[in-house]
Amino acid sequence: MIDSENIRVKRNLTALVEFSRIINSSLDLEFILNNVLLTCMGKFLATKGLIALNSGGKFILKSSKGISDDMLKKFPQLSAVNRLEDNIELENYMRENKLIAAEKISSSDECLGIVCLGEKLNKSEFTEDDSEFLRTILNISASAIQNSIVINELKVVNRILDSKVQRLNSLFELSKEFGLFSESTRIAKLLVYSVIGQFLVSKFAVITFNQSGITIMESKYSEDELISSLKDYDFAGLDYSIVKQDIEKNYPGLLQLSIELVVPMQLQGKTKGLILLGKRINKQDYSESDVEFIYSIGSLAIISLENMRLFKEALAKQKMEEELELARGIQKNLLPSRIPQFSNFDIAVSNVSSQQVGGDYYDLISLDENNFCVAIADVSGKGVPAALLMANLQAFLKTICKQGMHLEEATALINDLISENTSDGKFITFFWAVLNNYDRTLQYVNAGHNPPLLLRDGKIKKLEKGGIILGVMKTLSPYESEIVRLRKDDVIILFTDGITEAKNKADEEFSDEKLEEAVPGFTGNNAEQILKSIREEVQSFVNGAVQSDDMTLVVLKVK
Amino acid sequence: MAEFSTSVKDAGDVNIIYLKGYLDAHTAPTLENTFSNLIDRERYSIVVNFKDLAYISSAGLGVFMAFIEKVRENKGDIKLSAMSDKVFNIFDLLGFPLLYEIFKTEDEAITKFKEIKKLENQ
Repeated sequence: MIDSENIRVKRNLTALVEFSRIINSSLDLEFILNNVLLTCMGKFLATKGLIALNSGGKFILKSSKGISDDMLKKFPQLSAVNRLEDNIELENYMRENKLIAAEKISSSDECLGIVCLGEKLNKSEFTEDDSEFLRTILNISASAIQNSIVINELKVVNRILDSKVQRLNSLFELSKEFGLFSESTRIAKLLVYSVIGQFLVSKFAVITFNQSGITIMESKYSEDELISSLKDYDFAGLDYSIVKQDIEKNYPGLLQLSIELVVPMQLQGKTKGLILLGKRINKQDYSESDVEFIYSIGSLAIISLENMRLFKEALAKQKMEEELELARGIQKNLLPSRIPQFSNFDIAVSNVSSQQVGGDYYDLISLDENNFCVAIADVSGKGVPAALLMANLQAFLKTICKQGMHLEEATALINDLISENTSDGKFITFFWAVLNNYDRTLQYVNAGHNPPLLLRDGKIKKLEKGGIILGVMKTLSPYESEIVRLRKDDVIILFTDGITEAKNKADEEFSDEKLEEAVPGFTGNNAEQILKSIREEVQSFVNGAVQSDDMTLVVLKVK
Repeated sequence: MAEFSTSVKDAGDVNIIYLKGYLDAHTAPTLENTFSNLIDRERYSIVVNFKDLAYISSAGLGVFMAFIEKVRENKGDIKLSAMSDKVFNIFDLLGFPLLYEIFKTEDEAITKFKEIKKLENQ
């Protein structure tokens, strides 16, 4: 009897040692629990059993055998603090399930969980000895279970940490990449790749706002659909992210495209663009930290996009400046460098070109020893195109002057030539006159230019005879000319509309009236002083306002 | 500057893309071009071999997202193979195993394509 008892104890001990070895050799919680449960069931011939572990003060079912799914679902909410004997819910559950034994798994300082076992196959009682042995098994199990729980928790923490590191890496990498001077499209593409890779998204769009509206940088939605679903809302003023729940409630347009997240891209608190994302393929919602991450990437990207835009703007401005400089150069070269001198005429000229370089032109060309030609013109448009047309005009003019043609015919020919050589509605207002130094006569043709003023005895005659503006159409009806016999002290003032349309800060024009009012008072002086007085009159009127057109003046005084 | 390169091999109906070096925001456009070229040629059965890939960033992962829909719409797939543990870990972290089949070797991935083909032909 004693021998058989010894053998039994010895066998139990051997089994316990083996059991301990196996469960302590693993850190896999599932394997350990499975082993504990199977060992208990085998030892006590139980047909069913379960293990629940303490998770934050509650027992959560972790492993079971022989228990119906239905009953698994009914496992009660149990507090891990109470004594098992006092727990009526557990008692009821055990009775319903024909579980006859329950025991806590305890480590040195806390309760790790419980084990419940079903009826024995042979229906015999669960004795005090059995309870004692069960406790022994569970005591052996406790450290292995605790170790594996800690390891599991560590794994979870590690994974979260890995995730964070991965995100930081992404941010770091992108900030590096965005720092380079990349093309805008490439910046948008990198932004998109990072976000869709990070969050498993296949539908997305990146847009930016600018003066003219919305620019779509990247989109997997059709352009029309995207624009039409955006236009209903003031997204340029959006300064927070819109998440799925909000979209479902308030943004039916976005919902239609299954957009689940809208994140503003902000620069200095101003929304410059949006990142729109569809659903994640793993069907998870975007968490708060996800949105934060996307916001961070978006902010990085928009700085880079904005820098790129400013850079391009500066480049364009510089290019325009260079072009204007070129136009200014052309214009300057076209104007006469030297004013010819005549015994009976006192001549003064001035040309101030504006910031944008208008198309003003004047010239003084000697024809023979008695005759010279004075011309003034204003080419439509500004910059290089105007300067080139002006160069054309000058070339025609210089050639035709040498031909000894009548002024009317010559004007008609210039008009035909200009008409042939211009397109897109460019034209030239043009006035020219031939003055005879010997008999002091003036013959002129005015092709649509602001009529020059002839002042005699305080009275003004406008030199208006002529015809159509140059360059609009070929000459159909001939130009008319007029011959004026000049007297001593007559003053002729030629000007461009930059003078009469000079504006002050209130946007008022200097006007023909003011010019005509002012000039009679100046005629007592020589040409240079008359010119200076007119310029001063205009300057005091505009009072420092920046002018957008060239200002040209030619003053002739008969000696 | 970290280097990255791709090469493509035709193996019957299947194309294999070999990745080498560092796939990050900077080098992602290279892989993008490789995929674009295959798709332009209507090659939709694609195996990617990661054997010589040292590093992948989320921008690199994004390239795979950018093409997968188009490929699957055309009854193809992008299957991934031969990743180092480090590279797999990043794919795993971001949940890619849910979406992509990842094989230990290139051959296993090719075999999978062939099996599907066989089933379709039956």
